[in-house]
Amino acid sequence: MLEVRGLRKSYGRKKNVLNDVSFTVPLNQLTCLIGLNGEGKSTILKAIMGLVPVDAGTIKVDGKTIHDSIAFVPDLSTMPGYMSVGEAIAYMRDYYPDWNQQVAEELMGFFKLMATDRIANLSKGNKAKVNLLIGFAMNRPYLLLDEPLAGIDLFTKEQIAWIFSSHYMEGKGILMTTHEIAEVEHLIDRVIFLQNGTIIQEDDSEEMRELYGKSVQDRMREVYQT
Amino acid sequence: MLLHFDQRSPIYLQVLHWFKKRIVIGEFKRGESIPSRRALASELKIHPNTAQKVYKELEEQRLITTDRNVPSKVTMDQSIIDRARIELLENAVKQFVESIYAIQIPLEEVIINFEKEYNIRKRSELDA
Repeated sequence: MLEVRGLRKSYGRKKNVLNDVSFTVPLNQLTCLIGLNGEGKSTILKAIMGLVPVDAGTIKVDGKTIHDSIAFVPDLSTMPGYMSVGEAIAYMRDYYPDWNQQVAEELMGFFKLMATDRIANLSKGNKAKVNLLIGFAMNRPYLLLDEPLAGIDLFTKEQIAWIFSSHYMEGKGILMTTHEIAEVEHLIDRVIFLQNGTIIQEDDSEEMRELYGKSVQDRMREVYQT
Repeated sequence: MLLHFDQRSPIYLQVLHWFKKRIVIGEFKRGESIPSRRALASELKIHPNTAQKVYKELEEQRLITTDRNVPSKVTMDQSIIDRARIELLENAVKQFVESIYAIQIPLEEVIINFEKEYNIRKRSELDA
């Protein structure tokens, strides 16, 4: 279990960007961090990875303060544009000791990515697919996905959503930030609602359907429009 | 296979219902091996956890049996399948009655229209 406890952060005069944020990400579940723009979703993911400093808080995996069991999938391409998809994958394979080349090759095939295509020439959707491929091939138990569906066409979204119904999910704890949930709503296990840097609500999505007949989108409306 | 899920009712119940229907109409036959949880998840595009939950529920209702290291199978026991059939019928009728009752149509009128519509449906299937 990935545990985030008491995360606090202020940027200069902007106080409480994150205000005592605590939650857990269990294995074998898809946890979704939902918030409108500018609520601190990405900051939380970066804080978990140690990419931005925080004022307070702890990140633990199974009780230990380690980061090498978490993979971060950013919303923008971090690979140099001059590289080809194949070169980017080879580069990552050399860099990460636990790299799973089989997963990388399977996902290349599934996503119909061409090894010879230059990163710079890829569509936004294909860049997102390369990022996801790298994240899954890093072969770490926890995956943080930053807006994997933002600004991507419907069919590409469906292809990306497919990964959440695949065996690649087994044994993985996934934390995803998004505000576009229509295509993945039925795949989400838990939803954490964020507002003004604070968690205001946490739901089990099947329980919400079963007990109250409410969809995740219904809950979003209730939480943010009242 | 793409199921269109109602996002306001539990996904596992919708898949469970879909599965029971397949068993009741004999698309999954008595004693036949059924897809693995993995295969079901990717075929229906559902979370592997949901597939797991559906199979667990089917096991509890004894509609499928799972032995170690072999694919799960549909039960050999026809009486369990008959019970599932009756359950599907009762649920469908309950829903139907709810919607009819809400618009206050007398039973006689309902039955006449029901028969008419049922026969149209049946004929369209025979034509096709």
